[in-house]
Amino acid sequence: MTGYIARRLLMLLPVLLGVTLVVFGVMSLVPGDPALAILGPYATPERLAELRAELGLDQPWPLRYGHWLADLLAGDLGRSLSLEQPVADAVLGRLGPTLLLAGAALLLAVLLGLAAGLLAALRHNRATDRLVTLAVLLGISLPAFWLGLLLILLFAVWLGWLPASGMTTVWLDDQGWAVLPDLLRHLLLPALSLALVAAGVIGRIGRAAAIDVLAADHIRLCRARGIAGHRILLVHALKGVLARIMPVIGLQAGFLIGGAVYIETIFQWPGLGRMLVDAIAARDLLLVQGGVLVLAVAYVLVNLGADLLQHWLDRRTRAA
Amino acid sequence: MSGAGTTPDMGPGLSGRLRGAAGALLHHPGALTGLALIAVVLLPALLAPWLGLPDPAQTEPARRMLPVLSPGHPLGTDHLGRDLLSRLVWGARSSIAVGVLATLVAALAGGVLGLAAAWLGRLADTLLMRAVDVLMAFPYLLLALAIVAALGPGLANAMLAIAVANIPFFARAVRGAALDIRHQDYIAAARLSGHGEARILLAEVLPNLVPTVLVLMTTTLGWMILETAGLSFLGLGAQPPAADLGSMLGEGRAFLTVYPRVAVLPGLVILVLVVGINLLGDALRDLIDPRWSGARRRSRGGQPAAGSPAAPGADLPAGSDEGLLAVRGLHVAVPSAAGPMDAVRGLDFAIAAGERVALVGESGSGKTLTALALMRLLPAGLVLRGRLRLGGIELTALTEPALRDLRGRRLAYVPQEPLTALDPLFRVGFQLDEALRAHAPAQNPKSRGDALIAQVGLDGVPQLRRRYPHELSGGQRQRVAIAMALAHGPDLLIADEATTALDVTVQQEILDLLLRLCAEGRRALLFVSHVLALVARVCERVLVMYAGRIVEDGPVDAILTRPAHPYTAALLACSPELGRPDKPLPAIAGQAPAPGSSPPGCPFAPRCPRVQADCRAALPGLDRMEPAHRARCLHPVSRTPGERAR
Repeated sequence: MTGYIARRLLMLLPVLLGVTLVVFGVMSLVPGDPALAILGPYATPERLAELRAELGLDQPWPLRYGHWLADLLAGDLGRSLSLEQPVADAVLGRLGPTLLLAGAALLLAVLLGLAAGLLAALRHNRATDRLVTLAVLLGISLPAFWLGLLLILLFAVWLGWLPASGMTTVWLDDQGWAVLPDLLRHLLLPALSLALVAAGVIGRIGRAAAIDVLAADHIRLCRARGIAGHRILLVHALKGVLARIMPVIGLQAGFLIGGAVYIETIFQWPGLGRMLVDAIAARDLLLVQGGVLVLAVAYVLVNLGADLLQHWLDRRTRAA
Repeated sequence: MSGAGTTPDMGPGLSGRLRGAAGALLHHPGALTGLALIAVVLLPALLAPWLGLPDPAQTEPARRMLPVLSPGHPLGTDHLGRDLLSRLVWGARSSIAVGVLATLVAALAGGVLGLAAAWLGRLADTLLMRAVDVLMAFPYLLLALAIVAALGPGLANAMLAIAVANIPFFARAVRGAALDIRHQDYIAAARLSGHGEARILLAEVLPNLVPTVLVLMTTTLGWMILETAGLSFLGLGAQPPAADLGSMLGEGRAFLTVYPRVAVLPGLVILVLVVGINLLGDALRDLIDPRWSGARRRSRGGQPAAGSPAAPGADLPAGSDEGLLAVRGLHVAVPSAAGPMDAVRGLDFAIAAGERVALVGESGSGKTLTALALMRLLPAGLVLRGRLRLGGIELTALTEPALRDLRGRRLAYVPQEPLTALDPLFRVGFQLDEALRAHAPAQNPKSRGDALIAQVGLDGVPQLRRRYPHELSGGQRQRVAIAMALAHGPDLLIADEATTALDVTVQQEILDLLLRLCAEGRRALLFVSHVLALVARVCERVLVMYAGRIVEDGPVDAILTRPAHPYTAALLACSPELGRPDKPLPAIAGQAPAPGSSPPGCPFAPRCPRVQADCRAALPGLDRMEPAHRARCLHPVSRTPGERAR
């Protein structure tokens, strides 16, 4: 296990380096003068020249990338023009709510998807299976942003059960753990809208994996030893299915991080996704760059976690 | 599964396969539903200019937010007085066009990259695939977002961003498929016949890639439409006054609470379209690329057969001296295209307490199904008929909990394949404890487990309990499986080809172990094998099975030295013997009859060297040759008057 972790961590370095290269490279796609694009048409020539020097636009790109990377490692992502504060501060301040939302959604998606997949596999080719298959198809075909609107309409507007926007109720001044119930009430709808699509994908892969695992010889052998059915399902089959779908769960984390952009916009959730949309609208390219970088790194780390978990579940997996 | 499915070497040509798939699509319920859903959205979108709809961009503030079914506006108007139906149709047209275009761009660029990686040698492959890995380390919506941020908002830029973000996915899939093709025989053949690389690529590889790429495109088109709609929803795609479904949703959001239909309807159109595309994609994938339909093919219909116990009071008087196990009229039916067929056809036999019996036959004779039927562990869909009594208990009448109580405690099973007998994800100790706890709640399983480990001769293996199955040899795994089967001192141990997958020397060890453990504990053994020579060492009695029936039943020395049934004699003739490496091993000519085919007469007649006219007339009964020796033959090898034993 230790050897595996070491190898896997070592493989992380080139990927992270590649991610920084892509983020840096995408921003050089900006047509025309990046300084002009950032500052807008009304900037003074002095400010433009200053920013050009700051961005190192007169230098060749490998040199620029080197400087940018060095600054990055020192925690300096530049200064956001729209928020008038360092990008690093703005991004890190918004990271928590996004991780909370995406994490809750991932948890929901795994629970729903696994339950649906196992249920369908147990009732393979019967009515329950067809129903789950249909639900899964709807899940993967739903626009997440549309689902969010429907949920707001139903639970916030018509039924009035849950708040439609924000992360906390502004006028409550609870401290510590007392904010939790209010936070959960705000979290439920956005997390659900984000989770359902991923749950569809996990349910679909999970069903196929569970059909495979339940037909395996060692499951039949467990029955031949007189082990109770619920134990076979919840210990042997569940672990087998989890080990198989762990990479898919890691990939879904990426979908959730991307989908958070819509959901945070719809639910006015104060996270990185909404900040990104605002930053794009404001042409605040440095802020976009910082936000994208931090989310991409988070995704890489989540996938690292998924790989480690998979190895923990199934020791036969190797670091590729 | 191997990639050969994508590129069958000998199958019909590409056009034939595609035509076949197109034909099959029209009989596939999912595909038909999908096509219908797509048509509902696509046809109006295609015909939009000729439908006589109002101009979708024509604002008319005086007629804003007209309700549904207003004159001239079947779905009403939006906040600027624009006709909603017309906007939906034109918006769908724009969304579909952008999605299709993005898919084409991604498929083309990804295809070229993937093909280059597969064909240009190691270095190109490594470089390209590392780049793909890095791009795939990005949540791809985020990548698209970054690209739009750099290029600036707009429908064309959004399309490009979505396409670029999906290129790595296509590149990786096409590379995999191309590598598969590269290793096919017909490529080597083309090389040998002197064709250049360019010609091979164009004439052999590209056509065979088309199905894969087609499936990929259909399965991703839905995503592409969702994602471009998403960017438009955020205001980064279509810019007013132009509109696609996503931007309509985005604009309608502001009026969600008062006029929900303005935002809800575009989403519904997207949903219908994407569900249709995904249904069609799944169907295409099933039909063109068999690799994906594994789960479907493995599926078996129906419930685990609950077995219909024979009518009460059938030929088995309760409490009679029936020994440990009594089997009467056992049938197992397997599902087939032509309906259920009996693979086991009326088995009658008994096993006394402590008796060691072999069940021998070729593969396909029904012996493994018999073993599974005794455990009541037949795969789902197989139907069991007949009576199975174990120590006076009718197994076919038991519920699943009652069966669970018997399995492992009175009836135990050692499987053929030690590789799959243990759960690969749990340590040996865990599985051993679990087997011990299955019937005796937590009575110091550790020490009982250690005793079992010693009993099967594994006490010399260091750290055995902490090991995973893949860290053991085949023989060691089989010993663990035997230890678990013996955990509760069963009355009957069923060993289903338990030594077949092992090396010869290990085979002997395991046989000795089984013999010792059964003899020590006065345990009955049913030893299922296809090798007649193996059973002499372990068993006292032999049952020979052919085509689902017992054809001979007798003491082991009688069977081995003077077999009555020609089939037994043939089996003996083709068994290797220790110490006689030069013995010729003739195969039995002909093939066993297919399950379900039941011409009148003896089923072995077509292969039998001693066949006579009356053999084909009626099925012989299982007749007594000697007091304990029965055979199903009209002209047995050694016992018919006037014939000498061979």
